[in-house]
Amino acid sequence: MTTLPVGEREASAEAREARLAWRLVAPALTAILLVALFPLGWTVWESLYHHDLRMPWLGRPFVGAANYVEALSDPRFWGAMAHTLFFAAVTVSLELVLGCVLALAMNRAFRGRALVRAAVLVPWAIPTVVSALLWRFMFEGQAGIANALLTATGLTGPPPVWFIDATLAWVPVVLADVWKTTPFVALLLLAGLQNIDASIYEAARIDGASAWRQFRHITLPLLQPAILVALIFRTLDAFRVFDLIYVMTGGGPGTSTEPIALYTFTSLLQNLRFGYGSALSVIVFLVTFGLALGYIRFLGGGLAEERA
Amino acid sequence: MPRRGWATATLALLVLGSAFPFYWAIVSSFTPEARLFQRPSLLPTTLVLDHYRALFTERNFWVPIRNSLIVAGATTVICVTVGGLCAYALARLRFRGKGPLLTLILAVSVFPQISVVSPLYLLLRRLHLINTYPGLILPYLTFAMPLTVWLLVGFFRQLPAELEEAAMVDGASRLRALREVILPLALPGLAATAILTFVYSWNEFLFALSFTLGPERQTVPVAIALFRGQYQVPWGQILAAAIVATAPVALLVLAFQRRIVQGLTAGAVKG
Amino acid sequence: MPVPTAGPRSEGHRPHNTLTFNRAGWQEGGRLLARAPVRCYRGRARAWHPLRPETVAIRTPLSSRVRRAFLPGLLLLAAGCGRAPAGGPAVVTLPISTLGAEGQVLRGQLARFAVLRPDIRVEQRATPDAADQRHQLYVQWLNAGASDPDILQLDVVWTPEFAAAGWILDLDRFRPATDSFFPATIAANRWDGRLYALPWFVDVGMLYWRTDLVPHAPTSIAELEAEAARAMRERGLPYGLVWQGARYEGLVTVFNEYLGGFGGRMLDRGRVLVDSPQAVAALTAMRDEIYRERIVPPNALTWHEEEARFAFQNGETVFMRNWPYAYALMQDSAASRVAGRYAVATMPAAPGGRPTATLGGAQLAINANSDHPDAAWAVIEYLTRPAQMLERARVVGQFPTRPALYADPALARALTIPPAQAREVIEHAVPRPVTPVYTELSEILQIDLHRALTRQQEPAAALAHAAREMQALLDRVGLGEDDDVAGR
Repeated sequence: MTTLPVGEREASAEAREARLAWRLVAPALTAILLVALFPLGWTVWESLYHHDLRMPWLGRPFVGAANYVEALSDPRFWGAMAHTLFFAAVTVSLELVLGCVLALAMNRAFRGRALVRAAVLVPWAIPTVVSALLWRFMFEGQAGIANALLTATGLTGPPPVWFIDATLAWVPVVLADVWKTTPFVALLLLAGLQNIDASIYEAARIDGASAWRQFRHITLPLLQPAILVALIFRTLDAFRVFDLIYVMTGGGPGTSTEPIALYTFTSLLQNLRFGYGSALSVIVFLVTFGLALGYIRFLGGGLAEERA
Repeated sequence: MPRRGWATATLALLVLGSAFPFYWAIVSSFTPEARLFQRPSLLPTTLVLDHYRALFTERNFWVPIRNSLIVAGATTVICVTVGGLCAYALARLRFRGKGPLLTLILAVSVFPQISVVSPLYLLLRRLHLINTYPGLILPYLTFAMPLTVWLLVGFFRQLPAELEEAAMVDGASRLRALREVILPLALPGLAATAILTFVYSWNEFLFALSFTLGPERQTVPVAIALFRGQYQVPWGQILAAAIVATAPVALLVLAFQRRIVQGLTAGAVKG
Repeated sequence: MPVPTAGPRSEGHRPHNTLTFNRAGWQEGGRLLARAPVRCYRGRARAWHPLRPETVAIRTPLSSRVRRAFLPGLLLLAAGCGRAPAGGPAVVTLPISTLGAEGQVLRGQLARFAVLRPDIRVEQRATPDAADQRHQLYVQWLNAGASDPDILQLDVVWTPEFAAAGWILDLDRFRPATDSFFPATIAANRWDGRLYALPWFVDVGMLYWRTDLVPHAPTSIAELEAEAARAMRERGLPYGLVWQGARYEGLVTVFNEYLGGFGGRMLDRGRVLVDSPQAVAALTAMRDEIYRERIVPPNALTWHEEEARFAFQNGETVFMRNWPYAYALMQDSAASRVAGRYAVATMPAAPGGRPTATLGGAQLAINANSDHPDAAWAVIEYLTRPAQMLERARVVGQFPTRPALYADPALARALTIPPAQAREVIEHAVPRPVTPVYTELSEILQIDLHRALTRQQEPAAALAHAAREMQALLDRVGLGEDDDVAGR
């Protein structure tokens, strides 16, 4: 062995390292291929067939793009898309603003920081189903606590029935999501804040910059990477919203709070229209993926490369 | 300092907002069913244990708890071991194809669950795994495996590179270096990842809803969401169940909050 | 609540250390080796089939490596296939709600059956209570070609769907005495001229009214609305009338009654009629009761049966539309403020319509893949005997499906509702459309009804939309007007 020239020895060491690496990677990679990529391919294939488990007498004929055509000409599909985008836009902006406030406050306050962190982490950690039920309960009926508090302030007339109004039904839904995920955003932003060098502020203060100017010109630009990450994660999450609305409104009243994931789920597992449901799934996938790519291209830059 | 006063006031308000739904759920879960929708008052008047008793006697809530523990526990163990090896290779070994692999894993982690539900359903049906534990653990890998790998790559990377080099100069092989040098140092990161994976698996709803058929295999979130019976909505029991389902994750989070924050932010911010 | 376990509950009758196969799976000396349902995939037919001794050829689409990994298990199955369940009683599974009084009655009846027929063993399996969840579960089971469960408890609207799919057995072969059941309940269980399920108990929508607030049951919708408004005004009640308005099947059952009351119907042969002027009038009346008459609370649009019952039993309303189950529950004076102060009647009609009660209830059917259809039939036949029906009526308040029983004084003692009143409502019962795609039609209709009732759309527009979608569905699956299967 020792007689090998240095270059070759290095090469074989490299090859050994690569072999070891692939051996270590293989099990996880297999799992990901088996449970994520292979099913995705299957969905695409399935979406080209008319496959309705409830009507076995129709068989399973190949229909090409018919399922996609049906989806794209289906007002319920477009409604569901619009609801999803609306939900994502509203919750993500609220969560970013509130999360930013929370992070700034946590960064500043010294007393009770651990307590605060604990208090905001718990909503993040509990099942979405549970948070949906808690909020549904608070807004339930005319005698829920939300209406009791609202009446106590004396601002409104008769208390509203939240879940029968196409617009008002969004209020508890959005509140529940903001309540649950703002902590996540705040913690991401807090980590970003703590990475900012304190001496920059020091210098700004000496120059006599106001608090707002410091925020505008130091905090925000330096916080941008953290904000971007939070934005990506939250948008993609919001776009996939399912549990929250399934439990809270079931998509109602009518279908006015139905997101695309719920519509797809209903088509697939309630109506057992596997062909059509698969076409919806593929569309959801493409849109999500497009969003992710767009973000990474425009904003994220080297999120993946940095780690590579 | 007035600015600090501002911060404290904001925090107090936010903490209050965070905690109130829990407070209200706890109070209500001890309130008799008949009073639940009568003129709510912020301070409880009558407290009873009925809902909790009904939860564990009539509904046998132990079954979903057991199911959730098994499924989330097994998913966590599999992901942390298998994903840990993968992450180690990705973080500390040099080989071609690493970049694309990382991109692939990141891409899979943003997969909408809904787009793989139907094939997974057909696949599991074919393997006779519908309504079984493996039939849940396997699908859970779709989101848990990329998550663990991604988080652990971050953790492994933070360890200084000289460590294993020193160990290997001493004659230890890569794997021994991993076992004896890296592993002990990475333990905190592994723990944080394990907790996060467990929490995500414990909370998962869509797959558990789609791939279980009856109460014998339903997980906690599914069991609670389906409490709504033929005719009634037993709010008292739902809230009691919500409190019971929250307790383990809440305790876990409170006990390991520092670790969890580390995990969350390492996974995302430090990229 | 007993949790269904994979293993059988008693093993005493079976010799140990032999490989046996029953509903639960493959077993050796009482130890469960593999869970049932065991099926195999037949490539040519592209479907799963129950694994029977003659169909051991197992062809999976999986790679040979995967197949090798599964081989030990497959061999085990093949080995077991030779030993068909020999000796011992035939095991029949029955998925059923095991909760509460209903579960108790059933357990008692099955225990008596076991004495009568020791050659048949009935295993109960817990299923969800909510109808839509149970439906989904059944479809998944049956679609997979499972031979288990043997007996199915169907909602009245599911029979045609399951029959058309070939999932349940045609029962005519057992020569059931159909003329001793209510004709409407038999009609709802026929598909293509054949009987596929036997009515077990009947549910009908009825109008509950307060005998202390109104002199007699209203005879028209206008009178109902006027009386409700008057009682609210004079007695200070918060509501006049409550029904189930959430977006689910219950809303369609209520609408069906208004629709009949205004002289309309949902479907005629393959033609959808929910956009008829009568239908628009019916839906408009429902909406106006909320926003114009203000006798129905807007809240009712999130209500299921129980919320309506709570409102009625708290004395908050004059009228309630609900199922018979509520009658007995509200007689309990500890929980109810209206005990002894209410009666039931058919929902009234508008001029030109007829009083209508939606027909509901449970039917028993046999899985087409069942290994023991005769044993399953014996169970069904036993459970639908007059004596068992009387017992269900007494304990759970469910109506028998045999008209002869309504003349029996035993029923008068058993049933809290006077049998004459009950029988009258039942005879006004109108089945919902008998079609294999009922659940999908209903889903479309639910959404548009709810849109109109929550004022997102005008009733006419909503119903026009529903009719279009429903017709498109019927045409797509070959059940439309011009198709030869229409109106079977």
